[in-house]
Amino acid sequence: MAQSKELYDAILNGDAKKAHAATQVALAAGVAPMTLISESMVPAMDEVGRLFEQEEYFVPELLLAGRAMKSSMELIRPLMIASGEKMAAKVVIGTVKGDLHDIGKNLVASMLEGGGFDVIDLGIDVSPEKFVTAVTEQDPQIVCMSALLTVTMPAMKTTIDALKSAGLRARVKVLIGGAPVSMQYAKEIGADGYSENANSAVGLVRTLLANA
Amino acid sequence: MGRQFYLDLAAGGLCMPIGTDLVMHEESEPEKVRKDGSALARVIERAARRWGTPLAVPLMDLILEKIDLLALAAVSEADAETFHFAAPLDETMLAKLCGEQAEPLCAGSRARNEALAYISTQTDLVPIGMAIGPFSLVTRLLADPITMVAMAGSGLDEEDSEEGKLLWQCLCISEAAVLRSVRSQIAHGAKAIMVCEPAASRAFISPRQLKAGSNLFERLVMEPNLRLKAALDSAGCDFIFHDCGELIDPMVEAFAHRLHPVMLSLGCSRNLWEDARLAPKDVVLYGNLPSKSFYSDGAMPVEEVVRRTEELVEKMKTCSHPCIVGTECDVLFVPNAQDSIWKKVDAMMSCAAACCP
Repeated sequence: MAQSKELYDAILNGDAKKAHAATQVALAAGVAPMTLISESMVPAMDEVGRLFEQEEYFVPELLLAGRAMKSSMELIRPLMIASGEKMAAKVVIGTVKGDLHDIGKNLVASMLEGGGFDVIDLGIDVSPEKFVTAVTEQDPQIVCMSALLTVTMPAMKTTIDALKSAGLRARVKVLIGGAPVSMQYAKEIGADGYSENANSAVGLVRTLLANA
Repeated sequence: MGRQFYLDLAAGGLCMPIGTDLVMHEESEPEKVRKDGSALARVIERAARRWGTPLAVPLMDLILEKIDLLALAAVSEADAETFHFAAPLDETMLAKLCGEQAEPLCAGSRARNEALAYISTQTDLVPIGMAIGPFSLVTRLLADPITMVAMAGSGLDEEDSEEGKLLWQCLCISEAAVLRSVRSQIAHGAKAIMVCEPAASRAFISPRQLKAGSNLFERLVMEPNLRLKAALDSAGCDFIFHDCGELIDPMVEAFAHRLHPVMLSLGCSRNLWEDARLAPKDVVLYGNLPSKSFYSDGAMPVEEVVRRTEELVEKMKTCSHPCIVGTECDVLFVPNAQDSIWKKVDAMMSCAAACCP
């Protein structure tokens, strides 16, 4: 077990500066980047998720932990790219066309990164065509769509339809989330899953990948 | 109007959605109505008549104060929604954004004012104004507001850091922008203002940090809203407070007792009959049928709306707290789902009428 207790604690406490410093120390001591991810960062974010489920942590704590994790990833990612190592799976995420809200989407992206996934964030107001292009070029296993507004929700269905038309639907699992969205709506538009919050999105992605 | 007016409405069994957006979408070109004062006034009046309420509630268009504020910083209306401040403001800009501006700059705010003037002078309805709350406006001015607020509440960041400084500057300019908006609406005839603070919730302000002694809720939410309330009080304008965010009990209690609005409008994450114990008897509770789900017959069938309406009416009667049955928030238009939404608004209205003959 090569866990960096300092890194684990820093992420759990949402302390980005300490996470960055702990990562530097661990890397200098020769700990492999992937080992840091799998034995310190992912367990820390899993614990953050557990505390969120128990209502000991709330959205702000999730974001602080995500921020700490990101500061660590800034050091780790270039090393992984250089060595050709890859993350567990790739996720493309975006807020659908017409919707400019990104808080929920950013939170999910952050939690997924913390869960060890390679996250391609397409941003806000993402057209169905842009999702199709991203799936074609990035070859992700998962597509996540977010919408905050009831008026933009239908763009989720339009995007799923666009993936079908492009012959890409079977290649990816599609997850949706956002305040007005429900499991029922996910079923109605042909999505593979719905997540009520950022934390459960990580578990849902893992489940979908395990069952793929 | 005074507090008793709203208590009488509650005692009379008033039920009404916040539904002007729905009515606006019956127009052939709804988006044009937003910026056309006389058309907007007719829509607001029609909405109030339709639901038999004396309260003429405008659109819950919470972007207007941001557009007006950013216009002072030469940010166009088209760019306003996605604009965020990235660095602390210099003193000149800060003074400009906190300064006086008697008339709002954007067409939507001017239309709202014109509609208020019409309702005030041409109808027997009560002209209600609308404004985003200061804290919720802050969250729209920052790219990553939850993290910045969380940092401020965690003790991980110094208040004089760049991020910390920007947060408090944004609060300052937001409060000024909201005050300008409500003063302008009062000048055009508003007799009450609905202040909407959906970001004042546990999504933005961590209960864990509050428990650990953080004073962020006080400084970011309560203090500016208390000053806003004082401004409304001194103008003889009623203060209605709306927060459909996820709240914890101390937040509801602070809103009800310390802001002491004439009406407290809450989202469907709360049970109003339980919140009655957190509110003084002279604060009318408003809400809180789950209107954000009305678009889906699967997630929210008509029967469930009826059941929840009956439950709300009965339980509010049991706890004897004044209540106006309504919706958790503005009932928004959803493409291809208008029939479903109207069916449920109608069901809520009929059911409440049957329960309160």
